[in-house]
Amino acid sequence: MRPIDGLRLGEEYRALLRPGESEAAANGTVHRLPRFFYEIGSWEEAHEIRLAPHFTLAELMLVDCREGRLLLSQFPHYVPCAIVLLARFLEDFRREVDAPVFISANGGYRSPAHRIGGPKSIHAWGTAANIYRVGDTFLCDARSIEKYRTIAASLSPAAFVRPFGRERGQTDDHLHIDLGFVSLTPRDCSEAS
Amino acid sequence: MLSVDVSNGLHEELETLALRNKARAIGVALHDLETGFRFSLCGDRWFHAASTIKVAVLLAVFRAADEGRLRLADSLHVRNRFFSAPGGSLFRVSQDRDATPELYATIGRTAKISALAHAMICGSSNLATNLLLDFLGVEYARTVLREAQVDGVELRRGVEDHSAHEQGINNEATADGLLKLLSAIRGDFLTPESKREVIRVLLEQRFNSMIPAGLPPHATVAHKTGEISTACHDIGIVYLPEREPYIAAILTEFDPDTEGRRETVAAISEAIYRSLLRTDPKSSED
Repeated sequence: MRPIDGLRLGEEYRALLRPGESEAAANGTVHRLPRFFYEIGSWEEAHEIRLAPHFTLAELMLVDCREGRLLLSQFPHYVPCAIVLLARFLEDFRREVDAPVFISANGGYRSPAHRIGGPKSIHAWGTAANIYRVGDTFLCDARSIEKYRTIAASLSPAAFVRPFGRERGQTDDHLHIDLGFVSLTPRDCSEAS
Repeated sequence: MLSVDVSNGLHEELETLALRNKARAIGVALHDLETGFRFSLCGDRWFHAASTIKVAVLLAVFRAADEGRLRLADSLHVRNRFFSAPGGSLFRVSQDRDATPELYATIGRTAKISALAHAMICGSSNLATNLLLDFLGVEYARTVLREAQVDGVELRRGVEDHSAHEQGINNEATADGLLKLLSAIRGDFLTPESKREVIRVLLEQRFNSMIPAGLPPHATVAHKTGEISTACHDIGIVYLPEREPYIAAILTEFDPDTEGRRETVAAISEAIYRSLLRTDPKSSED
């Protein structure tokens, strides 16, 4: 996979991906959006790229038409480099639950231009996953969500897993896991502007 | 003179049918594109729209496509999780009441908007309806109805929104309104390509025990049924190879658990056919 400095992308892409820009969360914390991305040439390529033994890149970048049009219908696509860390975590989770883990549409990387969450969503960092099914179990009730939440949270102190519920910050039809606002700079890339 | 005779005869026959089949109310609207004949019996009475409201959502989907707001080949996240019209509480639609189990198998993944539109009409999928309406927005769909000059159809919420129902917030329609809706589809409100596609979807309706059941086998019907505990409707465009089509909206209301509701709508459909063509549909079966 070829890493790209988002600041060197064309204007149209920069407007959608907002590489390195600051974004304030609802609670007042400020985070910098990812700057470095992998460039993906086609869906076939995304399906072939195995980020972990049981997770392809395609699974972590499936979005619906709420995504910015340019990022939806044309290639190349760009995904934050930190997505490799998410895939490794999901692989650990899969090993622990000993069953296939299914990521929902819009449940992996979503660009800051996506109409769900936009730049404030941690999905714009490529470090969050919404799991809607583990094995044959659909995660749509308190029992299943809390069961897998406990397992996911036990795997790393960096992992945040939303509790079951119907209030803001809770989930009732999937398991939300994230690793925080992690950005990854590939070793050959420079952070100088 | 002829149309006055037809109108009087049909009026009388439909009222007799309603009485005989213990319908609490019926509303019928008709426009024959061959002769220009129009007929309305209690056409301004409001009924619970039931699934006929899905035709309004279909119109909004294709209008949005014509306006470039969406592409029919685009994908939507399939998620059984919706917000109630009043208060925004969450609800889910029931798979048991949906004739499209294949759509439920895609929960978590995506489905094309064109496939959702097809499932909403042909299989009367509540899940597909709410996904499309959630994406478009109720306000947008209402704007489309206004722009199409369709009054008599009040789209207020998604389907299976029980919380809204308990508060009296329902989708309602009159027979005249639904006739206008079908006329808008058949007219030039949509682009020719969208119009063709909407009619093609309506022609692929899987539930054919009402309007089509009262017609000869060579008739084809682009239609949508709607049934809840007290309402039983069918609205459609009837195509006959020997003539221009006619548009009919047949709405009925019964006490819950009354039998023979669909048969009543089929009998009304048959009476309309007989009045317009002055022939018995059964006589042209061979």
